[in-house]
Amino acid sequence: MKISVNWLKEYIPVTHTVEEMANKVSLTGIESSPVHNGEGLDKLVVGHITSIKSHPDSDHLNITTVDVGEDEDIQIVCGAPNVANDQYVIVALHGAHLPEGKRIKRGKIRGQESNGMICGLDEIGVPVKYVPAAYQNGIYVFPENITPGTDALEALGLNDDMVDLDITPNRADTLGMHGAAWEIGATYDEKPKFTKPSIDESKVVDSNDLSVNIENKELVPDFLVRTLKNITVGESPLWMQRRLWNQNIQPVNNVIDAANYVMIEYGQPIQAYDLDKLQDKHITVRNARSGEKFSTELNNEDDEENTNTILNQNDLVVAAGDQILGLAGVAGGIDARVTNETKNIVLESAVYEGSVVRKAAQRHDLRGDASNRFEKGVDNGAVSEALVRATQLVDENAHASEISDELVGIETEAKPTVIKGKISHINHLMGLELSSEEIMNIFDRLGFNAELDNDDVTVTIPTRRWDMSIEADLVEEVIRIYGYENLKGTLPTGMETSGGYSPKREFSNKLRNVLLGQGMNEVINFSLMNKKEAEDFNIIGANYTKLLHPMTEDHEYLRTSLIPGLVNNISYNQARNNNDISIFEQARIFDRTEGLDRPDEIEYIAGAISGNIALDSWNTESKKVDFYDVKGIVEELLSFTNIDANFEYHATNKISNLHPGQTAEIIADGQSIGFVGKLHPDYQNEHNVDEAFVFELNVDTLFGMAKKNVQAKTAPKYPSISRDLAILVNKDIESGSIVKDIFNNGGKYLIDVNIFDVYQGVNIKPNHKSLGYHLVFQNPEDTLTDDTVEKAFDGVKASLVQKFNVEIR
Amino acid sequence: MSLNDKLKDLRASGIDDAKRAERIQELNDLRVNLLGKKGPITKALRGMKDVPVEERPEIGTLANNVKKDIQAAIEEKMEELNRKIVAKKLEEETIDVTLPAQPNKYGTRHILNQTIEDIEEFFIGLGYRVDAGHEVEEDHYNFERLNIPQNHPARDMQDTFYLTDELLMRTQTSAQEGRDMESHDFSKGPLKVISPGVVYRRDDDDATHSHQFHQIEGLVVDKNVSMADLKGTLEALCRHVFGADREIRFRPSYFPFTEPSVEVDVSCFNCGGEGCRICKYTGWIEVLGAGLSHPNVLEMSGIDSTVYSGIAFGLGPERFAMLKYGVNDIRDFYLNDVRFLEQFKGVN
Ligand SMILES: [Zn+2]
Repeated sequence: MKISVNWLKEYIPVTHTVEEMANKVSLTGIESSPVHNGEGLDKLVVGHITSIKSHPDSDHLNITTVDVGEDEDIQIVCGAPNVANDQYVIVALHGAHLPEGKRIKRGKIRGQESNGMICGLDEIGVPVKYVPAAYQNGIYVFPENITPGTDALEALGLNDDMVDLDITPNRADTLGMHGAAWEIGATYDEKPKFTKPSIDESKVVDSNDLSVNIENKELVPDFLVRTLKNITVGESPLWMQRRLWNQNIQPVNNVIDAANYVMIEYGQPIQAYDLDKLQDKHITVRNARSGEKFSTELNNEDDEENTNTILNQNDLVVAAGDQILGLAGVAGGIDARVTNETKNIVLESAVYEGSVVRKAAQRHDLRGDASNRFEKGVDNGAVSEALVRATQLVDENAHASEISDELVGIETEAKPTVIKGKISHINHLMGLELSSEEIMNIFDRLGFNAELDNDDVTVTIPTRRWDMSIEADLVEEVIRIYGYENLKGTLPTGMETSGGYSPKREFSNKLRNVLLGQGMNEVINFSLMNKKEAEDFNIIGANYTKLLHPMTEDHEYLRTSLIPGLVNNISYNQARNNNDISIFEQARIFDRTEGLDRPDEIEYIAGAISGNIALDSWNTESKKVDFYDVKGIVEELLSFTNIDANFEYHATNKISNLHPGQTAEIIADGQSIGFVGKLHPDYQNEHNVDEAFVFELNVDTLFGMAKKNVQAKTAPKYPSISRDLAILVNKDIESGSIVKDIFNNGGKYLIDVNIFDVYQGVNIKPNHKSLGYHLVFQNPEDTLTDDTVEKAFDGVKASLVQKFNVEIR
Repeated sequence: MSLNDKLKDLRASGIDDAKRAERIQELNDLRVNLLGKKGPITKALRGMKDVPVEERPEIGTLANNVKKDIQAAIEEKMEELNRKIVAKKLEEETIDVTLPAQPNKYGTRHILNQTIEDIEEFFIGLGYRVDAGHEVEEDHYNFERLNIPQNHPARDMQDTFYLTDELLMRTQTSAQEGRDMESHDFSKGPLKVISPGVVYRRDDDDATHSHQFHQIEGLVVDKNVSMADLKGTLEALCRHVFGADREIRFRPSYFPFTEPSVEVDVSCFNCGGEGCRICKYTGWIEVLGAGLSHPNVLEMSGIDSTVYSGIAFGLGPERFAMLKYGVNDIRDFYLNDVRFLEQFKGVN
């Protein structure tokens, strides 16, 4: 809420600039910013129209003479439909600056001299929706006589300096001028002074025009009304109107304006009804019946029409029989609204439960000044006084003949909260050592009544600070008024702790580092994906987990694989000519045990490579990534897991979006831990990516597997002996099984088998391939003899011939 | 010609030949020819028998010196020729070092993970555990235990992705507070933990919003922690991240799970507090929210709030990275354009 300095001065002395105040208030209480209204506007004065005649060459222009407080009246040509003689108006003189850089110059309008412009409020910076309806389509006419030549901005309050408080939801006590004065006053050690409102006692009667029944008492702690008779509805005085439009409230009439004014003054929304329009003189506050209709003027800003709101049984309404007077705490209805013809009125001052108001306002898109306050709470100690104030203001401006006693629908005693605390504990929590005097002084500045008994302090909190309830709240009040800038930082002292990552996080960090070392860039993708993406690589057969109310289909399912994200990344990059892509992600996928709602969150690591792994350069030729490049990365990654198991690559054609002939499932000790393979050409096309190879590994499974217990061995001192083996074998036999067999039969000194040649084609038997292996033998303890090696080599050959029908070449 | 003169002649011509040699082979030949068993010096010494006995030692010495001098001349020249050969070879091998290298790339960690890890390591150094927590969380831990009861505005459906009535995508890493507090054994010392991770909000993705982003929650619970400790801790953090000259300030704020609550501003690292575009001409930049653990939050985890107190803080790695590196659009972090990713090589 914007706090006008002029208004604030009624309660506390103000000597600082709004910049200083906003800064100070931000640091002690509520985020604030300074506001200077009317900046850059000048030469705007009050003028009095002393004559008017039609423009000879126009059917809509008039020629006026206007007294602007100078020796001679000036002539101004005016096109506003509502211009008339003897009006007090806003005049922009020659040379005046208006908003948006507009400048007024004297000149001729259709041949007639015009020495300025008569302005509407909207032309000098008031948004048109806050301009009183009568002046929205023309010039503004002052409701009272004002000395011509007076600064118009001053007269209209449009050069007010203000402090804009951007409150957190707990500080709604400052959504009224009184609360704001308390807060700013505490900051400057000034106690605000307020005048108690009063009603002309001679007009008060014990009335029984109306009865009130509250059906849902838990949701309506207070509901008070008064009736006023024989009032004259009309325009409010200027001092009230200008305070309203400065609050972004449109002045309407002297009843509705008074109600709004009291809301700004006290933070207590007031509702007014035309008593004679009530179909039943019995007011009920009740839940709406499903399907009941309600019309209000408070609507979406872009919605000019009054809408018919369909209510449901969660809505709380103020009703007169079947007639809905208002949606409680949210909006008054059209049915019983106060118009210029209204004679008798009902004023309501009530408290409604916040969440009911909030939900109703949300449900019907009717958030406004009243609902904003009820949502966050109002001072239930001020309900009755606010009603007195509203009554007083209506009576002052609209002159009632008769005012009713307060009619109580329900009233809840406003009890101040008593908080007990300890000076030592408050200091302890702040990390300060303030004296009890200093602390008591702060409570006093805040207007809290505090009593000290040694270390114990008992603080009575006025009802205007309903946010306060526990000792920690006292801590906050003391430390903020004392000033956070005076608090010296320290570090927690206490027992030493040894911090660090979890073992699993250490493990996944290690894996990440291996992939970074392979030149792969790390990416981060969204966990929420569309249905198709969730299905595309659901290789583990996860049960899907989906959002109840997704915002878009693109982010509906929790991911079952990291691959779709990586493919999207490749596609995004290659569309931008970043053709050679090598990326990985380490994140969670989600799998749900059938029958459970909560999915398991499983850590995975996945990579994708597309394009060249060696670039065309002045001294090298480019090389496209292939299966074995990516398999090499996976092998290195797995070797860094330090897992005590053999990793096997089993060809698989079961993964639907991967190439059936270039994909391997990775098995460790009989357990599937992931896969490596090429994207299916169809999938590549579908996603507009170049040939791409991907892998994905289950980090949780790898983490859980037994690790090698590495015991150092001295590097062998005896020379190794090698033998080369060339064989011809059926092309369907996998090299992996041959190597396995070589190891099985090569004896204990066979330490390594490398494949150095794979050939198929010319000079080779059809359906066969030629393979060349390099076998390395070594005895760590002694020099090997050729005999021993030859014997082992023979064993290898014999087994291959027998098991795979190979031809030794 | 006396033997004496003969030897002197041989020395002069030998040294002269050595100096004139142009190839190693010539010098080797010269050595064999002059100094070998069949060479002229050996031959000349055969005439020794004609020399009077008393002069023989003198001639012998002269002969040895002649051999030595020729040898030295050959070696000197040999060295000179070798130097020339090496120099020639080096010149032939000279390359253009400005030609481009063979790329040998190390991958770049995602800038958000670099930012997170930098902060994690800072806190690990202060004795904090890192506990990542769950991305799918119970309403109970995400809200209830953080003093955000039913009907609290923060629980509105439009802010939270629910999976069921009870389960949701966590909206804040503070959700881990309850789990950390209830499982901690305070007899073993204070609870000091940070919880980094992904959180989710029902937001439309735009330049400043993302439905998925990261947070790091920090929590210390002990018998003796205070607002001053919170200020000191965050001061140290901000200096670590934004520079040693940084100051911080606290402004009162509101979070349901802390009381008092503060917003933390860091003095602008761009202008040093003078005021600039980045700090919106205030000299300060809001970087995180923090406070003392609300007594309700402690009590709900079975911690006696009259004995123990807690400091809690939450920060956004996206915001930190955006500020520090001038990233203007949060979506850039999730598009993973490699040109964007690779500019952050080694920044942390
Ligand atoms: Zn700056």
